[in-house]
Amino acid sequence: MFNRIEFVISEALKAFSRNRMMTVAAVTTVAVSLFLLGGLSYAYYRIDSYAKTIPGKFRMLVYLRDEATQKDVQQVASQIRSIPGVASVAWIPKDKAWLKWKADHPTALTEGIDNPLPEGFRVILSDLKKSDAVVASIKAIPMVAPENGVLYMRQEQNMVDGLLARLRLVGISVGGVLLAIAGILIYNAIRLTVLSRRVEIRIMQLVGASRPTVYVPFLIEGMLQGVIGAVIASGLVFGAYQGFETAISPIASLPQNQPAAFPYLPVLGFLAGAGALYGILCSTLAIRAPLKYR
Amino acid sequence: MSTASEFNSIPHLSFESVEVKFSDVVFGLRKVFLRIEPGEFVFLTGPSGAGKSTMLKLITREVRPTQGRVVLNGREIGRIATRHIPGIRRQMGIVPQDFALLPRKRVYENIAYAMRAVGHSKREVRHRVPEILDRVHMGLRADAFPHELSGGEQQRVAIGRALVNDPPLLIADEPTGNLDPEHSWEIMELLKELNRNGTTVVVASHDMLVVNRMEERIVTLDQGLIVSDRKQSAPPAATAVALIEESDSGSVGAPPREEHAGVQ
Repeated sequence: MFNRIEFVISEALKAFSRNRMMTVAAVTTVAVSLFLLGGLSYAYYRIDSYAKTIPGKFRMLVYLRDEATQKDVQQVASQIRSIPGVASVAWIPKDKAWLKWKADHPTALTEGIDNPLPEGFRVILSDLKKSDAVVASIKAIPMVAPENGVLYMRQEQNMVDGLLARLRLVGISVGGVLLAIAGILIYNAIRLTVLSRRVEIRIMQLVGASRPTVYVPFLIEGMLQGVIGAVIASGLVFGAYQGFETAISPIASLPQNQPAAFPYLPVLGFLAGAGALYGILCSTLAIRAPLKYR
Repeated sequence: MSTASEFNSIPHLSFESVEVKFSDVVFGLRKVFLRIEPGEFVFLTGPSGAGKSTMLKLITREVRPTQGRVVLNGREIGRIATRHIPGIRRQMGIVPQDFALLPRKRVYENIAYAMRAVGHSKREVRHRVPEILDRVHMGLRADAFPHELSGGEQQRVAIGRALVNDPPLLIADEPTGNLDPEHSWEIMELLKELNRNGTTVVVASHDMLVVNRMEERIVTLDQGLIVSDRKQSAPPAATAVALIEESDSGSVGAPPREEHAGVQ
């Protein structure tokens, strides 16, 4: 058994070193396509994470004037509840909001200053079509702050949704096309290897080498092409991530914007696994007919 | 010629009413019966397209019979699954017409490669390759590359490679097809030597000069039919001279129609 494994691996490595140009082309294309897919997936994940931090389309925040009393809070709450299209209203006491803010941002900036936050409400809508009318009705309430009294980020949500949709489209179309090209290149590289090793294949078939002994070296070759392409791709994704983080570091200095450390090993493992599977799939297709025992 | 049912012993190889059709109008073989006993030396002769190679391909399972049975050591070859073909091939040595040697490997490495491909260890290779090369009288050329060898020597290496599984059956397709008469005779002597040591040998050849000199069983095919099955006796000296003259005039190869013994 060990003798066969040793023979098969040595055959695969010999095959890998032949057809260098085709191998380089296949590995490069696998790397670029997996980089695009991996990079776009990571960008999608980051934007999606950001989207979860902003109020949803069914939510809006309402802030009252600084001088609003407890009685004003109760009155405004009743007024908002009576507006058509509003499902519920929840009070956000300014003291609790300030305590949370200080807990979330433990910096010296909040030490020794009075609570600057106003009383607020979280308003949940029941009908998106009435959102503009709801915003207008709330703004018309005298006790609602005239500047930024209503925080409703429907446009921002729409923009983020659009961005995610575009990323999905680009990822599926461009990444998919590149992946298909990579597959064709791996297929061709394996076919060329089969052609250049036809005498060896014939000899193996003449003397009765087992079928795995004949075809496994080609599967290993395809798998190696996929894995090497994936390792390069994960390096490119990591490099792009570092570049991106450096570029946005001025605006990412606030603690809430700090991303988790780049998951290099999971990304490498996932891409290498995907590359290996893809390489094996393409080489299996390439050897099906020419390596048929005859 | 007799059918398998007429014998009590198990033949090494038998063709029982074998028919191979390539299309509705093109036949490779037509209802062929042939029985080859263990240790026999059999020549398959006939003009191009007669069915010699088809018979060899049936034995190596490169072709399946359209009808009938090809039985090797009691096992019907045509019915075995593709995954069992390697096992069948290891029971026979196959010598192709074009030698199929690896040009960048030395003689020793050519044999060693075949042994490694069928799972032998490096130690077994070191032990057996010199032995095999001695059997085919190539021990002194172990370090030569194929392009440094004569046609006869290349054919010896191909025969040596066919011996890596120590097979009881050796199949050679036109082993002298690319060789001059002197080297052809050397190869035939080698095959005869292997046969004397117990190996069943089946050779497809249209080189009637060499075939007739060998004094072995000759099965002649024509258009997919066995037209003659006879044991050649030693030709008288005058006949041998005539054969050489005939060979020089380029007419050697047609089967002797008047000797249709055992035609099915």
